[in-house]
Amino acid sequence: MATNRWLATGNYHISYQDEQKIFSTHLDRSIFIVFLSALFIWPLFFEVSNKFMLVIDNIMIAVVAIIGLNIVTGFAGLISIGHAAFVGVGAYTLASFSRVLGDSNMLLTHAWPLMIVLSGLMGAVFGAIVGLPAMRLKHLYLAIATLSFQMIFQWTINFMDFFDQGQTISIGRVHWLTGEVARKDHYVFWYYIILVFIVLCGFMVRNLLRTRYGRCLSAVRDNDRAADAMGMHPGFTKVYAFGLAGFFAGIAGALHAYLYRGVGIESFTLHESITYLAMAIVGGLGTLHGSFWGPAAIKVLDLQVEILAEKAAHFLPASMNLATALRPFTFGLVIVLFLMFEPRGIANWWRIVKSYTKLWPFRY
Amino acid sequence: MTYFFQLVVSGIVVGSIYALSALGFVLIYKSSKVLNIAHGQIIAVGAFITYALTVWMGIPIFLSLILSMGATFFLAMSVERIFLRRLIGEPIISVIMVTIGLMSILDGLVYLTPFGTENFSFPVFLPSTPIDLGGVYISWTQLMGVIITIVMISGFSWFFKKSTVGISMRAVSDDQLASMSIGISVPKVFGLAWATAGLSAAAAGTIIGNITGLNFDTLHAFGIVVFPVVILGGLDSILGAVVAGVIMGLIQQFAAGYLDGNWGLNGTAEVLPYIILLIILLIKPHGLFGIHEIERV
Repeated sequence: MATNRWLATGNYHISYQDEQKIFSTHLDRSIFIVFLSALFIWPLFFEVSNKFMLVIDNIMIAVVAIIGLNIVTGFAGLISIGHAAFVGVGAYTLASFSRVLGDSNMLLTHAWPLMIVLSGLMGAVFGAIVGLPAMRLKHLYLAIATLSFQMIFQWTINFMDFFDQGQTISIGRVHWLTGEVARKDHYVFWYYIILVFIVLCGFMVRNLLRTRYGRCLSAVRDNDRAADAMGMHPGFTKVYAFGLAGFFAGIAGALHAYLYRGVGIESFTLHESITYLAMAIVGGLGTLHGSFWGPAAIKVLDLQVEILAEKAAHFLPASMNLATALRPFTFGLVIVLFLMFEPRGIANWWRIVKSYTKLWPFRY
Repeated sequence: MTYFFQLVVSGIVVGSIYALSALGFVLIYKSSKVLNIAHGQIIAVGAFITYALTVWMGIPIFLSLILSMGATFFLAMSVERIFLRRLIGEPIISVIMVTIGLMSILDGLVYLTPFGTENFSFPVFLPSTPIDLGGVYISWTQLMGVIITIVMISGFSWFFKKSTVGISMRAVSDDQLASMSIGISVPKVFGLAWATAGLSAAAAGTIIGNITGLNFDTLHAFGIVVFPVVILGGLDSILGAVVAGVIMGLIQQFAAGYLDGNWGLNGTAEVLPYIILLIILLIKPHGLFGIHEIERV
């Protein structure tokens, strides 16, 4: 059967290899390549302020973290209320190097790709340790275990002199091929680095999900007894899901530390963990591209609320700080509304749009 | 030795507050298997309502305590009715996240009021000289807190043992299908469980507010500290919540009294409950009094 490799109106897979393909048509592939190159070249054409770039960088770091959270919560179905702590483990790996060797040590400024990967591995180790109760426990108990890891992490940072009691620990400017990255290029430079990491992580996870280990995750999520019967080891799978999540979180933490050129506890609190969970849910749990929608939606919403609160502040007495009230309120409202009316998140809207355009202009 | 007994006394005081906070949490979990992360916020709201009624409206404190218990009764009930009823049967993560969203919403609402940013303290209505028990001191406020806790908890025990509503709530927590078949309205019981939890939360909040002063951060932190308590006691045991609450209070006071300042340790009282929590989860996940029905992998 001669199939049109450019356009398809549905799934016409005739072999398992066909179904495993990432891009079902050439059109999909070309759109993806165009989109990716656009992401890489747009900063060359548009002059953007540092503030705007910082927002974008922030969103993208959150994307890396959410990819990790999606593995553990979305694909493996284990609730983690301590993801910010894993991100923090990554960031504080860098911070401890900075404390021991000084903040402008060669290792930190020149070998930074190595350091980022190392932070990721550190996150993975901690993830696997915290995941150990998963060998025996399910659902609620596991959520509480991750919550307690979050609290222990916060305490460790807040009360240890080595980490400066949670005060900001600075990290030096990094060097690139042409020398030290200047202040004005800092955010654009890190935009590219984070983008590269996102692409790498994205491909890694996308491919992971096509392998035995990836399918293992969703099998355990859907029914762990059945998964056990089919020869998988649910306990081990869960620990390794936590390890993977910790790995991505650690990378996100290291990127965060480098972007802000410092590490402080306030970016890794329980509140941040909850924000990560909200991002994952708003984006759509258990979908890879949901990891991109969620952070973008939540961060943009946060900014809009802030602007709105600033505008509204003119009409209110000065004693009322509307921003502090509105931010948690809208945040909570968005979570609750999504859970009640669109539990599959923004990814589901994307799916609807996609299936609509697939058949366009020929509707049923 | 008096130092030791002083620690025991303050441990029991703190522990009884934990017990009362954990009680509401356990009530909700027992009946509807919902992990209510917003419990700390309900505690805080209860305390604020009591304060507003006492100081701003001039109502006697015991009357306003009862009024605020009534208010949180309906607050928690409507929370269940609006948000959680339509999530019955949804995956666990949805339910947990809804309570987290609820926590944020309540946070936002509290920040709109003066309570979100400023500190208040209840007017002193008891003698301010502490009671001397042979070198060990306990303040009247603390004593009153313990007494109210004991009264509340024995009231709840009686309610669950003897009253028809209480028995039907126990029936639902035991077997939902069976209790439906004998004519118990399960959703109504869920609502009632939330309502009674709200009621106990207001009492806990008022006691905490009287002892430590009204600070939103301190108050809603109790919603997180109850986790170690309920895990130690067993998630679905009211007796467990009480015993574990007192144990946790004692552990915290001993840690603060003996560990802090030695060996470079500081603030151990804050972290020890969570370390204990992790250990319990690893070796005895159903806690001291919980039902041995842990779903294992």
